[in-house]
Amino acid sequence: MNPAPDEGTYQLNNVSVTFAQTPVLSDVSFEIEAGEVLAIVGPSGAGKTTLLRLLNGMVGPSQGSVCHDRANLQSLSTSQLRRVRARIGFVHQSHNLIPNLRVVQNVVAGKLGQRGFLKSARSMIRPHSGDQAGVHALLERVGIPEKLFERTDKLSGGQTQRVALARALFQEPKVLLADEPVAAVDPARARDLIRLMVDLAREDNLTLVACMHDLSLAREFFPRMIGLRAGRVAFDTQTDEISEEVFDELYSLAAR
Amino acid sequence: MDPRELKRPLPVSRRGVVLFSIAALGIIAAFALELSPQDLAPHAGGVEIAREFFSAALSPAIDYEAEFVPDGAPPFLIRTLGAIRRTLVFAAFAMSLAIVAGLALGFLASSGSGSATIQLIARLIIAAARSVHELLWAVVFLAAFGISPASAVIAIAIPFTGVLAKIFSELLDEAPDDAAYALRAAGTSRLRAFLFGRLPSAIPDMAAYSFYRFECAVRSSAVLGFFGFETIGYYIKASFENLHYHEVWTYLYALIAVVLAFEYWSAALRKRFAV
Repeated sequence: MNPAPDEGTYQLNNVSVTFAQTPVLSDVSFEIEAGEVLAIVGPSGAGKTTLLRLLNGMVGPSQGSVCHDRANLQSLSTSQLRRVRARIGFVHQSHNLIPNLRVVQNVVAGKLGQRGFLKSARSMIRPHSGDQAGVHALLERVGIPEKLFERTDKLSGGQTQRVALARALFQEPKVLLADEPVAAVDPARARDLIRLMVDLAREDNLTLVACMHDLSLAREFFPRMIGLRAGRVAFDTQTDEISEEVFDELYSLAAR
Repeated sequence: MDPRELKRPLPVSRRGVVLFSIAALGIIAAFALELSPQDLAPHAGGVEIAREFFSAALSPAIDYEAEFVPDGAPPFLIRTLGAIRRTLVFAAFAMSLAIVAGLALGFLASSGSGSATIQLIARLIIAAARSVHELLWAVVFLAAFGISPASAVIAIAIPFTGVLAKIFSELLDEAPDDAAYALRAAGTSRLRAFLFGRLPSAIPDMAAYSFYRFECAVRSSAVLGFFGFETIGYYIKASFENLHYHEVWTYLYALIAVVLAFEYWSAALRKRFAV
């Protein structure tokens, strides 16, 4: 079930986040259109992960507002917020899968937020054939259909992240968020994985927001980039409009 | 005098003081108990009994040692097997109660319960259950209900529930939170994310520990025989009192065989679960 053409939008208005009196994000404002593919770049500690967690409501703003599909996330009740999160896929930096379960169980876990308790328990113990077929189709899309019944801790870093991507897609999301998805992946495989993620997001018409440490990958695959520095938006622009000088400066910042 | 020596309040280190105190406590305890080295040397009769007992180890009985065996008594080895079977049944029934109750209490005592009050109450129940040994529970239940299998089973089940619940709650709390976090981020409720995100990674250790406790339950079930429950301890006590040491050794070997079989079984299971 792909999202409607206008689903998956964000408006951030003057958002600040403070943890224990330390400002992490300050006065951040931008909009994201439905189906947009964008990268958040910046040195470590710039607030990239916090910004991503604002987008699925796992972190609330200390000031300002985060609106998703015209609903202010802060005004939602816990159960409403859970329903919103159920349609937001998240690929974490370290896959966050259950290592001693099979791939099919880990992918099915993506739908736990959308099902009743007994159905969840049953699908975690022995996924029924409909789920298995759905998971198999997703694993085909991420390129590892033969791993359906493999134990997850037997997979390589790249394969594990593909399972995490499949779990996010199994949610039938409107939005896909990815927090440095290739940080723990062998560099030779990182490019394939990013390409796959961007292609899948485009095929399903999903909004994709990814924190990217690797600037050259961000530049190659993401048409829009938001640069963060010390919790503030340093730039927000189309990638092909960024001059070589700015890139050189960014590279030197990232290398530090 | 070197001025540095003045800064040191004691000529021995803090660790030295601790070790010295422990040694001193040991000596005080020995005096308090009126121990004397002569007690360690057995008296003449004792040496003879010990010699007889241990030499019987090499020739365990395969038949009754008594000259008169009542009619209708099963062959000795069959009786041994029957005693082992009853010992296992007591232990298994007690464990099946303890695992279910231990899982429930363990979950309530873990951070997954989501309420500090529930956690505290669960922990109090757990502490109460495991602070009394199964033999003491057995004494209580014997007084209340007499020799019935239920008293033995419940006597074992109560402290074992406490210990299992304590370990289960710790294993759940120590299990990595990253998968549970991912489930919460995907809209799963806190409780369900805890259960489905943490329980699967804690299960191998929980199963291994339950096996170990099962082994302990077999031993406790055997010892409860001394109180008159018909487990293997009952027969060991009777044979020992009749000075039938060869029979005692047969029973002991049977018990050791059971424990070894458990070890083998749980090792095979751990291998299957292994990460």
